[in-house]
Amino acid sequence: MMKKNLIWVGLLVFTFFIAATASAQAVRGVTDTEILIGQWGPQTGPAAPWGAVARGTDLLVKMINDQGGIHGRKFKYFLRDDSYMPAKTKAIAKEFVEQIGVFAVVGGVGVATGMTARDYLMENKVPWGGPVTGVYEWIHPIQKYLFAVYPLYDDEAFNMTGYLHEKLGFKKIAMFYQNDDYGKQGVMGVERYLLKHKIKLVEKVSAEVTDRDLSTHALKLKNSGAEAVIMWTNPTGAALILGESAKIGFKPQWATSSTLSDSALMMQITRGLWGGMITSFFGELPDSNHPLMVKYREAHKKFAPQERWGVFYYAGIIFAEPFFEGVRRAGRNLTTESWVKAMETIKDFQGIGPPITYAGIKDRQGGKHVFYGKVRPDGSIERITDWIRITK
Amino acid sequence: MDIKRNYYEDIELFKSNTILVWSILFLIFLAILPWFIMKYHLLGLSIYIVNLIAVHAIVAIGLNILVGFTGQISMGHAGFFALGAFTAVILVLRWSFPLWIALPVAGFVSSAFGFILGLPALRLKGPYLAIATLGFGMTITTIIKRMEFFGGRMGLQAPKLELFGTPMKDIHYYYVIMVIAVLMTIGAVKLIKTRVGRAFIAIRDSDIAAEAMGVNLTYYKTLAFAVSAFYAGVAGGLYAFILGFINPESFHLIMSITFLAMVVVGGLGSVMGPICGATLMTYLDIKLQAIQDISLIGPALVTLSQKYMSIAGISNIAVIVYGLIMILIVLFEPLGIFGFWIRTKRYWKTWPF
Repeated sequence: MMKKNLIWVGLLVFTFFIAATASAQAVRGVTDTEILIGQWGPQTGPAAPWGAVARGTDLLVKMINDQGGIHGRKFKYFLRDDSYMPAKTKAIAKEFVEQIGVFAVVGGVGVATGMTARDYLMENKVPWGGPVTGVYEWIHPIQKYLFAVYPLYDDEAFNMTGYLHEKLGFKKIAMFYQNDDYGKQGVMGVERYLLKHKIKLVEKVSAEVTDRDLSTHALKLKNSGAEAVIMWTNPTGAALILGESAKIGFKPQWATSSTLSDSALMMQITRGLWGGMITSFFGELPDSNHPLMVKYREAHKKFAPQERWGVFYYAGIIFAEPFFEGVRRAGRNLTTESWVKAMETIKDFQGIGPPITYAGIKDRQGGKHVFYGKVRPDGSIERITDWIRITK
Repeated sequence: MDIKRNYYEDIELFKSNTILVWSILFLIFLAILPWFIMKYHLLGLSIYIVNLIAVHAIVAIGLNILVGFTGQISMGHAGFFALGAFTAVILVLRWSFPLWIALPVAGFVSSAFGFILGLPALRLKGPYLAIATLGFGMTITTIIKRMEFFGGRMGLQAPKLELFGTPMKDIHYYYVIMVIAVLMTIGAVKLIKTRVGRAFIAIRDSDIAAEAMGVNLTYYKTLAFAVSAFYAGVAGGLYAFILGFINPESFHLIMSITFLAMVVVGGLGSVMGPICGATLMTYLDIKLQAIQDISLIGPALVTLSQKYMSIAGISNIAVIVYGLIMILIVLFEPLGIFGFWIRTKRYWKTWPF
């Protein structure tokens, strides 16, 4: 009797063991034929224009699937609208992991939104490639499964000041920024450069995101006698300050960050005042002849003709490219660990964004380059530099 | 039956054994709910969503004390919610307070501000009060944004809490939040039935008559604001910890309006109503998007939306359905979801008549 019971117990333990090892071997979101990935992005609400990023990634997924996928596996892409509300973003992250069971998260617009999900994703060892903001939060402290792509705003501002000062010879530089974390990272970079070279910032003017009357701001900038003004603001702020400056006849050399690099859109909302602007870019220009860009534009016509071919849209491709490169390098035996190892071999990989390197570096900041362009009066862009390394 | 013979019978929590039994069954249901969710993903729920629902329910119950019972209005409850969230996080983060002290403190900080906001409410009514409270909500978040102490515009990361040495997960928060939610619900039911609640209702029905009967308007109006803000503050503290990261931008006007909508859709002037409202609206807000995963219907709706509305796809449909449900409820059932419940109950009680 005793022996019989023992056999049963033994069998039970054995099946548990088998079941445990079986489930431990299976990789979440990866089957023989499919890999599940997800992204959140605001499709509604005030930040909706940025939602194009998440739909751009969809285009890349469709393209890759059309070519037969990677190592025999096609991708299933889940796009969720978080309306830029952190509480929703976290719910989406949980849905991705606990219910859909995705292999990885790709992209994701917003700092506050992404920050509610970051620790949760990392604790559950979910790979996350290319959050769509250039802030330190993604790389400090280093997260094993998080690979950042977007060049850091702080370094971008530092380098842009250098470009204006050294290459273009501007002596009197002023700064206009929006009073938030994004704007402050811009100020930080500009001041860091000027302090290093012992130059005085002639004026520093900030505006609230909700401010609608920027006439005194423009007057302050004019009175400072600045030859060049760097602005770190959202599209509305940029349009308002340009409008007010034009009204009082203040025409310095303006320069701004890559977040305002959609010059077709900016030309429209500034009613033509955007011409002459110097902008940094984290990706090829919309009409670039880069072979990949030609390919992507064709795919755009084929799979998503209803979308506007703008910077936000194909940024969704830029931020996802390194993730797919990692999947390619990981080979048929795709696991979270093999993907991380594969990502760590990436060196000078370049799609249509900046050259990406994760190999041999201490942090997880892949993108460290931008290039500069000047907006022509018709809204098209003249590329004035090659890729420049901004993060040392 | 429903005849009350004395005051104490009226303020009893459980009016009959039936209610007592159902309440106990409901508590048991709450206790085992996580197991069902984890095992079967009931209705696509996750424990996090249930936690969020419960937090919203606490705010809605508090707001209903103000709106449904006292007849005042607040469009600034996101401000109290934010105050609670930031107070709780700062207490735990900077001065290592335990959560069970930080939460009530957060509640009292909010209620202090609620008291202050209650003062102008003595002179303002209707739309004027709405504007004043709206201004309050926006001011609070702007002040928080401007002060580095509160983490500035960037916000704060809530510290990871531990329970007997293991980091707290959603399931642990679930029981913490549920205990608090149940206690606060009972608190609201009791409050409404006692002297204070009756004074609130008298003010709602006619503040001049109430004053003539000896209800101190200054005291009770500010008290209503303070109590309501206390609920929002405690809920805000919980919200910060289940989210893990808070930033002032997320406590915006839309959030205040959503809270108000939860109360109206759920049913003004009842305690169960706001709970129903919070449940329905939070759930729909998060889960309506899942329509796109239903085979055939999903892709068809996405195409429809992209063709005739905007490129955003399923979100258009989700927003329309969300709005439509709200309109229909308010239009056909002015008492909200709770009204449905009352009618259904009456129908069964009087059946077959």
